Amino acid sequence: MSILAVTRREWTGRRNVLLVAIGFSIISLLSLYFEADPKLALEKASFMGVFSGTALAWVIALLFGATMVSRDLEERRFGFFLNQPLHAGQIFLGKVLAGLGLALLAGLLTTLPSVLLSGLWRQLALKDVGSIVGVGLAGSLVLLLFFHAVSIQVRSRSLWLLLDLVTWTAFFAGVRWLSLRLMGAWAFQDLVHLWLGLLAGGTLGLGIAGYLQVAQGRADLQRGHRWVSVTLALTAGLLLLAGWVDTAWVLKHRPPVAWTSQPGNRSR
Amino acid sequence: MTSQAASLPVACHQVGVRYGRTQALDQASFQVEPGQVYALLGRNGSGKTSLVRCLLGHQKPTAGRVDLFGQDVWSARQALMHRVGVVAEEPDAPPIMSTRQLVRFCGSLYPTWDQAGVDQRLGRFRIPMDLPFGRLSRGQKGQVSLALALGPKPSLLVLDDPTLGLDAVARREVYDELLGELGERGTTVLITTHDLAGIEGLADRIGILHQGRLLVDASLEDLKARHRKVSWAPTQAVDPADLVPFAPLWSRAGSLGGEAILTQGDPSQVPGLQVHPLSLEELFVALVGEAEVAS
Repeated sequence: MSILAVTRREWTGRRNVLLVAIGFSIISLLSLYFEADPKLALEKASFMGVFSGTALAWVIALLFGATMVSRDLEERRFGFFLNQPLHAGQIFLGKVLAGLGLALLAGLLTTLPSVLLSGLWRQLALKDVGSIVGVGLAGSLVLLLFFHAVSIQVRSRSLWLLLDLVTWTAFFAGVRWLSLRLMGAWAFQDLVHLWLGLLAGGTLGLGIAGYLQVAQGRADLQRGHRWVSVTLALTAGLLLLAGWVDTAWVLKHRPPVAWTSQPGNRSR
Repeated sequence: MTSQAASLPVACHQVGVRYGRTQALDQASFQVEPGQVYALLGRNGSGKTSLVRCLLGHQKPTAGRVDLFGQDVWSARQALMHRVGVVAEEPDAPPIMSTRQLVRFCGSLYPTWDQAGVDQRLGRFRIPMDLPFGRLSRGQKGQVSLALALGPKPSLLVLDDPTLGLDAVARREVYDELLGELGERGTTVLITTHDLAGIEGLADRIGILHQGRLLVDASLEDLKARHRKVSWAPTQAVDPADLVPFAPLWSRAGSLGGEAILTQGDPSQVPGLQVHPLSLEELFVALVGEAEVAS
């Protein structure tokens, strides 16, 4: 109940976002009237609807994540939550749910009219709908948590930012190195698995960092930043280690790439 | 832990807060008894805000600990906040929410929420219920904050400069509401304020913070009994040296006569001296001024 109270409080005053979503849905439908070829118009409208709905959901998640705690802290309003009998997890989860709910609702409002009017819904199986919504929601969650962490790092203006820079640089350099090794062995399926694993692990790390920022940092932005930095550095280290072990295992157990020439190109 | 310690609404043990090289709070220790009104006074930058943040579990002290009702507030904040009402220095409710929405939000979090009491208070304050909090006047924001803080019928009320920026009428209304609460329920109150005249009739005990240290922690009655204000006319041949046995805390003499605040003895025996009642403000200025000279 308390989580939902926080969620409802976060939605208050953000309903304008839904008006923006309706505006986007109208723009998506415009091709129905301006495209001469009716079949092409329907395809364009459905593509525009799905594309702009997903994009809007992600932009909302990004903006929500960047402000959901750090702005309260900067404007000294976070004490309002801390003065209530709310657990840090309830505050954080309530805010995350509010961001995801808003992103989902805006995405659906933008997408649904064009999908319904274009008749695309007749061609979509439940699995397809689930995939589209799932990708939209998963992307929203990653962006929300990522930009929450970044906004804390940027707004606290503490020296822990140096650790953050080292962490991000090392992480992306490590991911690139692992990816190149797998690509060199033509292990593209394993590469996708590696990326998905890193994304899932990274999202989990971002979630834990966000929770700890609220639970241990509370009204102290710099202390919260410290917890975010340390958690993310540990997460990045663990993920790279797991990625390295996984890559090494794949390379060891994968048969070497056989570079065979095509029969037609055989040199004489 | 003794049952007495467990029943203490507030117990600060050697609390210290450090920001980099700055020691904002240094070994502050004090207790607030049940039903007591404890006024924490201090100049700007004296460490009051840091202490209040530690006291509400918003910030972890770098040294010492703060217990509310016998529990460490840092680790048991959520449970303790069921029993604590807070009015922040800067009204911190979300500006976009109307008073009605704020009441609904807070009401849903407390099992002891007194909806009728909150409605009555807001009615007395004549608060427009559907106006966003951010569009209320400074005084109205303070009144809404107070009504919300009193809503769950708290055992402890923490007021961080609740009259800051209020006009005389709004200030009076806040104090009347507090007096009513104290009379009805005997709630323990910890208040920080710059409004020394306003708090004088309300406070049982005074703590004065100066440069991060708790300079004074005594009952107002004791403080007033220990300190006496005297004055003398220019025609009276009073030599400030005559006052030395009375351990003057502060004295001033000139062509218009003189005045002093004495800390021991009975100065009424000295011919030419007039003894006056001492206000909290005079006492505060003298104590803090003396501490500044000493430091």
